[in-house]
Amino acid sequence: MRIVVGIKWVPNTQAVRFDPKTGTLIRAGVPSIVNPHDFPAIELALRLKDMYGGEVIAVTMAPPSATQGLEHVLGMGVDKGILLTDRKFAGADTLATSYVIAKGIEKISKEIGPVDVAIFGHETIDSSTAHIGAQVASWLGWPYVYYARDAKLVEDGKLRVTRQTEKAVEEYEVNLPAVVATAIKALKPRPVRLSYKLRAKIEKPIIAWNIEDLGLDPRCTGLKGSPTVVANITWMPEVPRKKIVYTPKDPRDAARWILKQLFSDESVAGFLKKALWGEE
Amino acid sequence: MSEEKGLKPIKIEDLLQRTVYDVDEDPHIEIIDERGVPKELTMLCPCSCYTTVGEKLLYSYEGCLECGLCRVLSEPWGLRWEYPKSGRGVQYRFT
Amino acid sequence: MSSQTPTKFDVVVVGAGPAGASAAYLLAKAGYKVLIVERGRGAGTKELFGGKIYAEPLRTVWPDLDKEAPIHRWVTRERISFVKGERVTTVEFKLGRKVAFTTYLTEMAKWMTNKAVESGAILVDEVRVDEIIVENGRVKGIRSGPDTIEADVVVDAEGVNRILLEKLGLAEKIKPDQVALGVKEVINIGKKAMNERLLLDEGEGLAWFMVGDVTAGIPGGGFMYTMKDTIALGLVLHIGKAYEAAKTGELKHTVPMLLEKLRTHPFFSKIWGDADVLEYGAHMTIEGGLRYMPKKLYMPGLVVVGDAAGLLLNTGYTIRGVDYAVYSGKLAAETIIEALESDGPTEENLRKYEERVRESFMFRELVKHRGIEKVMEDPMFFTKLPAMLNILLAKLYEQDYEEPTVLEALLDSVKESDVSLSKFMLKLFSVVSKL
Repeated sequence: MRIVVGIKWVPNTQAVRFDPKTGTLIRAGVPSIVNPHDFPAIELALRLKDMYGGEVIAVTMAPPSATQGLEHVLGMGVDKGILLTDRKFAGADTLATSYVIAKGIEKISKEIGPVDVAIFGHETIDSSTAHIGAQVASWLGWPYVYYARDAKLVEDGKLRVTRQTEKAVEEYEVNLPAVVATAIKALKPRPVRLSYKLRAKIEKPIIAWNIEDLGLDPRCTGLKGSPTVVANITWMPEVPRKKIVYTPKDPRDAARWILKQLFSDESVAGFLKKALWGEE
Repeated sequence: MSEEKGLKPIKIEDLLQRTVYDVDEDPHIEIIDERGVPKELTMLCPCSCYTTVGEKLLYSYEGCLECGLCRVLSEPWGLRWEYPKSGRGVQYRFT
Repeated sequence: MSSQTPTKFDVVVVGAGPAGASAAYLLAKAGYKVLIVERGRGAGTKELFGGKIYAEPLRTVWPDLDKEAPIHRWVTRERISFVKGERVTTVEFKLGRKVAFTTYLTEMAKWMTNKAVESGAILVDEVRVDEIIVENGRVKGIRSGPDTIEADVVVDAEGVNRILLEKLGLAEKIKPDQVALGVKEVINIGKKAMNERLLLDEGEGLAWFMVGDVTAGIPGGGFMYTMKDTIALGLVLHIGKAYEAAKTGELKHTVPMLLEKLRTHPFFSKIWGDADVLEYGAHMTIEGGLRYMPKKLYMPGLVVVGDAAGLLLNTGYTIRGVDYAVYSGKLAAETIIEALESDGPTEENLRKYEERVRESFMFRELVKHRGIEKVMEDPMFFTKLPAMLNILLAKLYEQDYEEPTVLEALLDSVKESDVSLSKFMLKLFSVVSKL
């Protein structure tokens, strides 16, 4: 099985601070990390490889500094990293990004071997659109299942994907190749291992492809290929929150107390009544 | 000591916002038996990761600076103390 | 793992700090296959120190240090302030020679490790070493999770928290009296404001030690170092005594609040004002290197370097750790090279490392200053002396009409700060002899 997993090299948003004097984000010196929501996708990919053999290839569209992120996932057991990198990819919205990634997957299928599954995280912490999985599936014309928590191969070479919604556990069987997006925190990622990290350092299994390698039209990539317009950015000031600590002996008292607190707020009570009992 | 006019001490939770973390999903430090972990850590822990709620000593690993102080002051059976795995935890930049 | 990936190295270095990086650099340069295993994300990300490094021992490893290293400023001024409430007595010394520089250890460790990697060492970061493997009394390699790597020699450069050495039985559990806690803020003052307010020329730096009630009665002190365009401000607190003060309730503020009190102190804060705090961190350091030293700094297949070996000089007013770490890494590398060129990393061959340490300036210094930590724990020096000095000067200068003679003022200040003059002179002698 050949599994592609898409990752994004994102600024560590915990460390991005807001300068109230100038109204801008302070991003200087903020280190980047692999998007935390990509880890369930990486873990799912590695589990599929553990079960059925084959290889896992991590793909990212990013500047060369993302090599560090690819090395991190190689350290978890991913076999190869593909860095889709070109100045002409800069400023991309999700449409232009998913286009480049889809073309990268096509190139992998052609040159390295046919891809069976492409797995993405639910969304990124720096833009939270949750578009990429669906858009890549559209570009490739592959079936798409999201909110996935698990997947396994079943009869006829189909992939059975388990997903959990608020009210049910659902199972979908899709023909391969397919695109899957995992739910947030769906699977706990495995740690980086010494032997895998060492292999990555010595074999350097990271390949960089630029716009010519992919044979793309620059009008479809980067800022030029991005129809999204950022109209305005506003700062929502922090709402000071009240902290109450209540430590009853009996947990049932705690439950009653929480309900009482929640229903004491009119808007919360209204929401809860509607959500729980369908009352208006 | 009094403070300079207009200069207010920063609360520890705000101070820790200045420091970069990549927080692991799993805690790298856990209280196993609080009888072996001194309550004085609520005063001494440099990131105030130790708090008491009533009589109970609680530890939250997210703001941990990995200094090792609580390991020194606790009994070996009081804490499970490890460094975070996979390069996670505090990410110093200017120290 | 594929066949290309080795599972055996000549030397595995645990920790990409100053000690590990210098050993790895010299060994890789000599042509040995070296693996550095570092728990942080890249070298330097778990490093924290005060701010000042003595250059000469580093030049013995990197002769081009002055040109290439990320040096922020050369220390040309040293200040000591004695603090009692709002009263501050300051002594400033303008150095005639540049011996130490300021930097971020995060940058410095990265620079040192890059040197090792450029010389052929392999750095594996984001990996925690769980165990040093011993077979038949000889160190065979390291284990991390399910993976093991064999090595002829393991260099333990794990730092002040000796997780691995304790597991190995080479070091005992750390006692609170052996260590101090350092906390530090990095303040973004800007180059121009710093140079103007501290009267510094371009590239010139200031090191400032503060003693007195900045530590709220706990042995230790405050420090301030000028970086390129930021200020490192911190406190070092004796852990054993801090623990006692917390137990008795004498400690009224949390440790981070003590540092915030220093940052907002009406006298010191004039320098940085409301400049932004960029980063806050904490790290442990050693009180009294000799007491912290493991029983042995070697065993067949193993040498211990840097903080893990207790090789740090803490005289109370100054801490020398990075240069000691680098120099111990150098001595370790030289010994390992000799051992691997002769009949291997045996007990006898690696004993020479400890012998070299004992013959070096480091050990001579540690012996000379032995016991200084005991004296420095004496409240006489970190609370009473600063109080006395400030009361003395207050008697002399805070007068509207009548000024006392110096002798009257001295006697009054001795009385008011609860100091016995004869005891004070005796103690002063015992300190001066150890400094």
